[in-house]
Amino acid sequence: MRRPPQIVAFGGGGFSMGSESTLLDDYVIGLTGVPRPRVCFLPTASGDADHYVVRFYRAFAAGRCEPSHISLFRRETGVADPRAHLLAQDLIYVGGGSVVSLLGTWRAHGLDTALREAWQTGVVLCGGSAGSLCWFSEAVSGFHCGAPRKVTGLGLLPWSNAVHYGDEPARRAAFQGAIATGMAPGYGVSDGAALRFVGVELAEVVGSGRDSGAFFVSGDGHGGATERELPIRKLDQCLFPAHGADAGEEAVAA
Amino acid sequence: MSRMAGAAGRCLREDPRRILAMGGGGFTMNDRSGVLDRLVLELTGRGVPRVCFLPTASGDQREQLMRFHERFSLWPCETSILSLFHLQRDRLDPREFLLSQDAIYVGGGSMRNMLAIWREHRIDAVMREAWEAGVVLAGLSAGAMCWFEGGISLSGGRPEAVKGLGFLPGSLSVHRDSEPQRWPAYQRAIADGQLPDGYAADDGTALVFAGRHLVECVASAPSQRIVRVELEAGSPVQRPLPLRVLNRAEAPASVGRLAPAPIDAERVAVEELRSVRVLRQRWE
Repeated sequence: MRRPPQIVAFGGGGFSMGSESTLLDDYVIGLTGVPRPRVCFLPTASGDADHYVVRFYRAFAAGRCEPSHISLFRRETGVADPRAHLLAQDLIYVGGGSVVSLLGTWRAHGLDTALREAWQTGVVLCGGSAGSLCWFSEAVSGFHCGAPRKVTGLGLLPWSNAVHYGDEPARRAAFQGAIATGMAPGYGVSDGAALRFVGVELAEVVGSGRDSGAFFVSGDGHGGATERELPIRKLDQCLFPAHGADAGEEAVAA
Repeated sequence: MSRMAGAAGRCLREDPRRILAMGGGGFTMNDRSGVLDRLVLELTGRGVPRVCFLPTASGDQREQLMRFHERFSLWPCETSILSLFHLQRDRLDPREFLLSQDAIYVGGGSMRNMLAIWREHRIDAVMREAWEAGVVLAGLSAGAMCWFEGGISLSGGRPEAVKGLGFLPGSLSVHRDSEPQRWPAYQRAIADGQLPDGYAADDGTALVFAGRHLVECVASAPSQRIVRVELEAGSPVQRPLPLRVLNRAEAPASVGRLAPAPIDAERVAVEELRSVRVLRQRWE
């Protein structure tokens, strides 16, 4: 099945946040446009935490997809050729955790280039928290100690990104501050909402209806930052989006 | 302790830098004998040392964290764990935290991942600072090979040479007895010049370094071996090194005695405070 490059960046939510609603997970499965998609989970940012992998298999049960995961901390077991495995997927789901640790580990195994290839060949990429920040060129990551840190991501999307945006006021302020002082303009997304990019352009924002919004933040030209709230399409329990591939191709053409 | 007299003894006294590199064993491998773990504390020369476990190579596997607390609750010490996956939750400055320790215990797992993650968080530079400040650096497997110029790791699935931090000269291969598939890869890597000469160590053994000098080899059982591997006329030749078998009943601080910490009133007061705190923690 031919699909355009697509990335779905969650502000937070999906099975990994333990939310009772599986709307975002259902949404990304729908985007693959195939009845039983191959879905691979990358739990790298959590250090391949066992409980997280188990929750993935529970949420992405074999009944509706072909689930698998890659552990980069136990390469001697499991998937032998991560690149080939990733390229054979319909959907790659990246879990949360430390985005700094995630990027370092990926680079050490060449997953940064493998994921770019997968994206270019139409494998849908998605994830929340660290699994969202990683796709962008820049991001403001967690508050380790003192000031939040600017992180350089994979740069598939030429924007910046902040997650849990409307949910953590300090994060919102730090993101605006970073953009005011020269970081690329970008998207702040709250828990329960998700950005869908086709190619490098935003195609739509979807949400559970209980999220605190999604925003485009850019410099105002006077050393400050402005925030523009984005319209959100509320996801319905049983309504899948217009078929991923079709909608995607339209957006690419536009 | 006559073995440690002479040049080695001088090294221990004059150079504050300590590394304990284990071929395997210790609490993470469910080793019933705690002698290597105890040696980590003894090398600090402190009454109630602060010991931090760094489980990066395993991805902070929960079982390892539990075993760390279980094992080190046996001795007077202040334990902590530094997770590079949860810095946000813990709100820690890893540099400050590591430099405030008396010993850093690095767990095993993927050497490649551990070093990549350390680099991103600039822990490699912090480790050098800690080493030079006299914080004991200890570890097994990935946590032992990382201090050398390189080692043989399964990080990529198959055994292969991986570059280390190079604090210590030469290379190290671990689990010599329990994972024999590493041995041919190690020999090849040395023959090809991918790795410099070095050591292959069994589970339960460890090399003790003062600065860049090997001071002694220790073991938890007499049957265990550490071999020196050197390239001679194009092929690697191995020779077993003398080992001191650690005594289970030995009182703590036997090695610490050789490197007495300078005594000052403030430190004594702080140590007392710490021991009171440790006792309180234990009873609460």
